[in-house]
Amino acid sequence: MLRFILYRLLQAIPVLLVVVTATFFLVRLAPGGPFSAEKAVPPEVLRALEARYHLDQPLSAQYLGYLGDLLHGDFGPSFRYPGRSVDEMIFSGLPTTAELGLYALLIALVLGTTAGVIAALRPNTAQDYLPMSAAMIGVCLPSFLLGPLLLLVFGVWLEWVPVSGWGNVPGDKILPALTLASGYTAYVARLSRGGMLEVMSQDYIRTARAKGLPEWVVVIKHGLRGGLIPVVAFAGPAFAGLLSGSFVVETIFQIPGLGRFYVQAAFNRDYTMIMGTTVFFAVLIVAFNLLADIAAVWLNPRLRHQYRKPAA
Amino acid sequence: MNRKPSLPAELLPAELLNAEQGVSLWRDAWLRLKRNPMAVAGGAVLILLALLAVLTPWIAPYDYRAQNLALGAAPPSAAHWFGTDTLGRDLLTHILWGGRISLAVGLVATGVALVIGVLYGTIAGYAGGRVDAAMMRLVDILYALPFMIFIILLMVIFGRNILLLFLAIGAVEWLTMARIVRGQVQALKQQEFIEAAVSLGLSRWTIIRRHLIPNTLGPVIVYTTLTIPSVMLLEAFLSFLGLGIQPPASSWGLLISYGAETMEEYPWLLIFPGCALSLTLFSLNFLGDGLRDALDPRTAKD
Repeated sequence: MLRFILYRLLQAIPVLLVVVTATFFLVRLAPGGPFSAEKAVPPEVLRALEARYHLDQPLSAQYLGYLGDLLHGDFGPSFRYPGRSVDEMIFSGLPTTAELGLYALLIALVLGTTAGVIAALRPNTAQDYLPMSAAMIGVCLPSFLLGPLLLLVFGVWLEWVPVSGWGNVPGDKILPALTLASGYTAYVARLSRGGMLEVMSQDYIRTARAKGLPEWVVVIKHGLRGGLIPVVAFAGPAFAGLLSGSFVVETIFQIPGLGRFYVQAAFNRDYTMIMGTTVFFAVLIVAFNLLADIAAVWLNPRLRHQYRKPAA
Repeated sequence: MNRKPSLPAELLPAELLNAEQGVSLWRDAWLRLKRNPMAVAGGAVLILLALLAVLTPWIAPYDYRAQNLALGAAPPSAAHWFGTDTLGRDLLTHILWGGRISLAVGLVATGVALVIGVLYGTIAGYAGGRVDAAMMRLVDILYALPFMIFIILLMVIFGRNILLLFLAIGAVEWLTMARIVRGQVQALKQQEFIEAAVSLGLSRWTIIRRHLIPNTLGPVIVYTTLTIPSVMLLEAFLSFLGLGIQPPASSWGLLISYGAETMEEYPWLLIFPGCALSLTLFSLNFLGDGLRDALDPRTAKD
């Protein structure tokens, strides 16, 4: 197991290096700079600004300097918001985004697995078609459509919930969490249905039934463990995506998370902010993929032998 | 005659069991697909949508650029079936024209992904060994890249060019296609008919073109049908952010984005484009699922 984790950590290094390098040169070689949008900056001010952010140095020096800072966990100062560091801005938005993401993930896992398992128990009956058609709606109604629609119905017409905000009024967290969760729920439902169908036809399930175990014990104790492997593999990267924030949901519901930084930074050519959010996202993806893989090995003993030391 | 002995007989269409002669994969798949009402309905809707998109210049009720500022945003009526927007432009006309763009982006970007993915996957799978390992490690690395951010960056930096949009989306979507094709080719490579082709002295390229690629078509078609909706979603998402299609051209994503801004006063501006997008995505997904069950019985849902 340790071998496996070490191997995967080593594999993450080139991935992160590619991300950092590609983003770094992509944003700097592109036309336009962080200060070109501002109206008529006097040349001496521009020079001072560039000196301050090391933009007057050759690209290679900038790149090495950035890598050095990054190794100390320093994303550098924001170009757009003077006096604020990128680290500070990311971590100011993270708690809100993490809370929203956690709710969405919980909804997706609980609702999605339940629907998927129920569907898999009686395939090709109404008990299967109903939850799976509902899941299809989740796949086909993207958040930028579902969010406004939910707001229109429950916020504007029925006036059950407030139309925006986060944590000001009780109930204002429901719609954003549901909107964000819908796509993930649908995916989890489809994955868990597929996984359960495969597992429930295995010999060990027949054995468990032959022992005379009640059906719910067979399903929950013996079926779920194997049937949820695809869900676990999906939940890792999904949670990484949720933690990096959703621009759409956060914009529609006016939530002060960190999703908006991704798009804002690109529009503003805020070099350090673009780099910071990209690297942050890449680290999350790599970390949660690793966690998901560890969980998959733990759930499926047959995978373990691959990572044992070969017998000498 | 039964080409798939692993499949229980009751799952096969009756026509198939009664057939005296062998049934080709395609005929077999067609028979299965016909029995799936959702897939058939999805296919019918898609044919209708494609016809509407092709015929738009002739059937659109109003001129694309016609404004009627005096009318303003009017709810659906006999003259304007889907209502008008704040500039008094006919919404149905805009949905028709926007549909052309949305469907075109879906098809072209998926085509880009298809060509790159199939070639890359076939070469990696056929070459095997170190070439394969190196090519697939590259795919692994690309998988881990935050592509959404790169696409947003590209669109911001190089302007909202529709060609760039096709390329950017296609460049993201080929990865899974490459993996699927490589897996298929690896399995096919071991079979006797490829050995026969090699011993006949056919060149590598001929073997790839004539024997390998045609045999990977089943999964490729299935995955293509499922890629189109995800590409259309991506385009709609980018247009929603203001990074995709640029006015005065229109796409469903753009119309939804305008609709969302004014939904409290003019809900129809959100609802109709939203229905158009969802209906298309539904049809594509149902057809894709149906095709998967029909063409690839091993991974079928049942």
